[in-house]
Amino acid sequence: MRTATVSNSPGKWVVLPHYAFAALAFVALSVLLLISTDAFGGHYFHPKLLTLTHVAVLGWATMLIFGALYQLLPVVLEGRLYSERLAIYTFGLLGTGTILLAYAFWHFEVGWVMHLAACCLFLSFLLFTINVLQTARQAPKWTIEADFIVTSAIWLLMTGLVGLLMAINFSVPFLPEDHVHYLKLHAHMGMAGWFLLLIIGVGSKLIPMFLLAHVKETKKLHWAYNLINGGLVLFVFDHMVLRMGLLALCAALVAGGVVLFLLYVQAARKAALRKDTDLGMTQTFVALGLLVLPLVLVFVVSGSGLRVAPQLMAAVYLVYGITVFLGFVTALILGQTFKTLPFIVWMHAYEDHVGRFKTPLPKDLYSHALQRWQNINYLLGLLLLVAGVLLRQQEIILAGAIAFTITAVLYMINVFSLLLHRVHDLKPFSYGNASA
Amino acid sequence: METQAPDIGHEAFETLKYIIDPEIGINIVDLGLVYKVSLEQEQLTVELTLTTPGCPMSSTIVKAAEQVLIKRFPDLDVAVELVWSPPWSVDMISEEGERQLGRI
Repeated sequence: MRTATVSNSPGKWVVLPHYAFAALAFVALSVLLLISTDAFGGHYFHPKLLTLTHVAVLGWATMLIFGALYQLLPVVLEGRLYSERLAIYTFGLLGTGTILLAYAFWHFEVGWVMHLAACCLFLSFLLFTINVLQTARQAPKWTIEADFIVTSAIWLLMTGLVGLLMAINFSVPFLPEDHVHYLKLHAHMGMAGWFLLLIIGVGSKLIPMFLLAHVKETKKLHWAYNLINGGLVLFVFDHMVLRMGLLALCAALVAGGVVLFLLYVQAARKAALRKDTDLGMTQTFVALGLLVLPLVLVFVVSGSGLRVAPQLMAAVYLVYGITVFLGFVTALILGQTFKTLPFIVWMHAYEDHVGRFKTPLPKDLYSHALQRWQNINYLLGLLLLVAGVLLRQQEIILAGAIAFTITAVLYMINVFSLLLHRVHDLKPFSYGNASA
Repeated sequence: METQAPDIGHEAFETLKYIIDPEIGINIVDLGLVYKVSLEQEQLTVELTLTTPGCPMSSTIVKAAEQVLIKRFPDLDVAVELVWSPPWSVDMISEEGERQLGRI
């Protein structure tokens, strides 16, 4: 028999600032989207689109994932976070780097501001990777989830390194190929290596946990890990060395891995003891459904024999990026925020009161009505944005941006009402029939 | 579930039903998290587990169980131990818990 009495959770100042920054970044992203509708008519290598993308992936998605991961790593790996101090330094560097990079891209100032931003970000990713690696090393047992999470951190570091090299190359050209060549590498390492692997690693532990489903068979996850990493490594090797145009094969390997993960989630849903699906989990399943879109589009952009007009192809490239960052990743965050943040806030606020007073439950700490409208507006915004980009209609893109802004504001209200939650008017227990 | 000193044991289980798992919304007794309640002289010992090792709620639930029992049995020494063996499984959920989950 093994006993344990100490929680592995990190302090709230390690985790909660990430949620605050990410919520503000999401609002900033939406406002930038509102004033950038003219940028969606051409190539994706556009200052405004580069700004939007980096605010989305760094300030919004990566920031929130870092914060959530400091809370979830101890759950997934069953051990304490290696260093809270490293996590705080990582937060500072990521926040500073994101703001500087957004400024540099928006004004397309490729000098010292961009270099400093890229250095901050790379250092942030380095500290994060060290923290994750050390946490995993100290974990009592190594699992497939640990494989996913550690590997995703390494891909993030490599993504940051390529980004840093590109930033330097803007003012001191030394790379043999043009920027778009390295941008493809940078983007796919970030999308599949960082976001996808990380989300699968954490999701494969949390989704069954939230559904009360015990899925013992992990063969699908092992194959998913092998296929996605195999596809990515082959892509990097082909893109940089072989140049045989194997993008479609690489995409097929990654897509195969994702399908296996989705089958794993399906098995968890079948085995779920918990049949009621709250808004957070519904949104999570919407996100997993949206994952199908970029998986289909990657075959179109990989040039797998389809004849598409250049203007339409430029739009498809944009839609491909949108369905990853504003589709799958954003949808997942909008759902999982309300599966994690209320519990973190509740735990810190009520830990000393539970058992002595009647306390609210985590789900009572935020507005479900706002969350419902947030989810509806989000789907509407995504649909309009994709349609507007494909049809090259600025009015439709603007309508999508407005829906996204409403989504971001509703999300921010709920997140800040949670972050600013205070305990008040607790009533002591009066013992009667507890089951009643 | 194992108990000693039937009256106190039963009362302790009933008291622990006030602790609700914050994620699932069902009390920890019907969720099958309370493995054993025993009384030796003035020492009331409870062994409980969590749905998953590494659960961030571990210290909260242990503290809640201690506090609710201390308040209910002020003359006893209360000790709550978190155990992982046997690992919790969904089969440990009581009929009432399954009813609340909408499974029955």
